[in-house]
Amino acid sequence: MTLLETLTVILVSVGGLFFLTGTIGLLRFPSSFSRLHALTKADNVGLGFIACGLALQAESVWVAMKILLVWGVALIAATVSAHLIARFTLRAAGGSRRTPP
Amino acid sequence: MTEWAFDALLAGGLLGLAWQIVASRVLFRSVVLFIVFGLLMAVTWARLHAPDLALAEAAIGAGITGALLLSAYRAFLSRRGTDPGPPPVFPRWAAVGVAALVGALVGGIGWVVVGLEPPEQTAGREALAHLAISGVENPVTAVLLNFRSIDTLSEVVVLFVAFLAARVVAQDLAHAGPGDWLRASRNEPVLVQPLIAFIAPMTVLAAGYLLWSGEHQPGGAFQAGAVLAALGVLLRLTGRLRPTSEPSLAERLSLVGGVVLFSAIGLAGAGVASAVLAYPEGWEYELILLVETALTIAIALPLVLLFSGSGGLRREVR
Amino acid sequence: MTTFYFAVAVFLLFNLLAGLVRVHRGPTAADRMLSALLFGTTTVAVLLLLAEVMALPALRDVALLFVVLAAVIAVAFTRVPKHLGEDSE
Repeated sequence: MTLLETLTVILVSVGGLFFLTGTIGLLRFPSSFSRLHALTKADNVGLGFIACGLALQAESVWVAMKILLVWGVALIAATVSAHLIARFTLRAAGGSRRTPP
Repeated sequence: MTEWAFDALLAGGLLGLAWQIVASRVLFRSVVLFIVFGLLMAVTWARLHAPDLALAEAAIGAGITGALLLSAYRAFLSRRGTDPGPPPVFPRWAAVGVAALVGALVGGIGWVVVGLEPPEQTAGREALAHLAISGVENPVTAVLLNFRSIDTLSEVVVLFVAFLAARVVAQDLAHAGPGDWLRASRNEPVLVQPLIAFIAPMTVLAAGYLLWSGEHQPGGAFQAGAVLAALGVLLRLTGRLRPTSEPSLAERLSLVGGVVLFSAIGLAGAGVASAVLAYPEGWEYELILLVETALTIAIALPLVLLFSGSGGLRREVR
Repeated sequence: MTTFYFAVAVFLLFNLLAGLVRVHRGPTAADRMLSALLFGTTTVAVLLLLAEVMALPALRDVALLFVVLAAVIAVAFTRVPKHLGEDSE
């Protein structure tokens, strides 16, 4: 096993662990907001670790950049989705007056 | 071993999900589970070495079906206050009888299929053997746009007819589609505008990439059209496109353009090339690209209009 | 390496299926939607792993499509009216 492969194994494994923490948070945390907080960070960091690990094994720089692009777009989409769902939950709980849009 | 475990988990998960979607009494749970089902279906197509289908599943499932189901749920909720009438009652023996008949049918078909001998010379092998004369390198595109282009033509016609049928039973605009975000600019979450500013060019880029790459790797007109349609769905949902009852001239041209162009090139093939729907030699690649581009638009527009429940769309002026 | 990638993919899939418990339990519509978003990210990770292990580069395009279109469902979800968002039996 080369150094690069060892690095990939470490990165991908750490990514898997972050996904595990995300799932545990989803199942164990008590309220919608704490679950939102657990998920949107943990799973995107996990995806980032896995993407970096796989990018090391890519056959060309372009492929590596495509893998990292997937992660970048995922971050943006997750940010907006988390914001939309948090806003929805807050307003559903009756906090619509006090919240800025 | 791990490969086997993955497939077993995937198949089990799909079956469990399908059961829950049908059996769940909470409607919203079924909607979310169906979205998850689409995700797992994409992974399943990937495992079956069918990336073309995985692409289509991703574009349709993530971009259109999810939004469609959520909008339908919304329409259903806002109508629930009015008198729904008594729920239909089915006698138990009828349900059991239907279940037994369907079970027997599925079992019978399965019995026959398992007993079949795999054919020696399949159509797929035939297509692979003649890939060189098709003008493209991706075997799926070669089959869809050259060897069996009559099927593709009929599919686009079916989509067009479905759109016409939906127009026949269409409701007035006040009840059409996902409803409007009243005064979108005032009530809109602050991150939506930056999201669209980023996602819209990315989606167009992805559609163009899929259309172009369909020549030599998985992709093509259907996937590109579905991705473009997803962009239309997003714009319609956020109130950037306004539904109108009548399509404009450009929309009419786009709607029929794919079918007309495809048929014209196909009919010209009778004179210029050997047969109807055959391409003249040496021009396969260019003509296929032209037809695919027209088809992309002719697939995207009816999908968006079906989602929107309107005859046409206009840009909302703020 | 192949075995390792598949082991991680199995692990992620297992996470996804365990998370379905939250979709089942709810209690609010937002919780269910949230879990679906997590599953989207998980699926993207699985597709990236499969692209490497099955030598199918097109699967990276599938992953890209999923992340580009991920926000469409979230936007569609916020169009569900708030007072009716809490679904009951």
